[in-house]
Amino acid sequence: MSDEAAREEDRQLLERAQDGDVSAFEALVDAHRDKVYGLALRMTRSEADAAEITQDTFLSAYQHLKDFRGDAAFGSWVHRIAANHALMRLRHRRVAQAAEQELQGPEFTERGSLAEYPISDWSRDAEEKALDAELGTAIQQATDQLPQGYREVFLLKDVDGLSYEQIAETTGDSIPAIKSRLHRARLALREAIDDFYNRDSRGA
Amino acid sequence: MYNCKDSINLLLEFLDGEMSAEEAQHVKEHLRGCSPCLDFLRTYRATPGLCKKALAAKMPKEVSEKLTEYLRSKIKSAS
Repeated sequence: MSDEAAREEDRQLLERAQDGDVSAFEALVDAHRDKVYGLALRMTRSEADAAEITQDTFLSAYQHLKDFRGDAAFGSWVHRIAANHALMRLRHRRVAQAAEQELQGPEFTERGSLAEYPISDWSRDAEEKALDAELGTAIQQATDQLPQGYREVFLLKDVDGLSYEQIAETTGDSIPAIKSRLHRARLALREAIDDFYNRDSRGA
Repeated sequence: MYNCKDSINLLLEFLDGEMSAEEAQHVKEHLRGCSPCLDFLRTYRATPGLCKKALAAKMPKEVSEKLTEYLRSKIKSAS
């Protein structure tokens, strides 16, 4: 189903759910639960937390169905609720944080030129359907190693598709701060993927 | 004239299309003459898509069954 068709179906289900049709609400849950669960799992890295956040998210969506005006897509609305719940949980959790200076990025010469030229252009692999399992593991590890604030922004924007404005509302951070963290997170992850592709050619 | 560092620092704004025409022109000029940076831009742009695939998650069946059960019990008790 195209995105537009899915959104139209959501709009119709939402109207019915707002009129009290529980089965329409359940259909909305079915359509969006994987994405909500995925967001919560990536953010908290805990299956138990992710399951609870998904429950809390859809329960609060149900409780606020009447307030939802339908000017945004239902999917992006529940994504924001889920992001809020996940962030609340993370704020209560004290996890040892990776230091900011551990963030990798490209290195430059004194004159500002790239110190190391990219050896392979792996950008086309992103268009392939299947992802190499080892690369997948390398990406998961690199994402785990990002400092919390960088991980959050990267996951919410690049993986879960929230807008800068939505992230700013959720985290309370300014948009320039969010963009700067997102850029550094992308650089670090790009570096990790690049290392993966060049692991044989560059030597350790 | 921008160098590699200037251009790479501005990649996010450049790809978002959120910079002045003048700045964008500087970045474009640098990219035209610097194939390493062009490769860098391609891989930078491909990074989110690869990560999205690597981090995709599906809700396990038993979790989704519990979710349905949980919501039904809450909705029932509210009505």
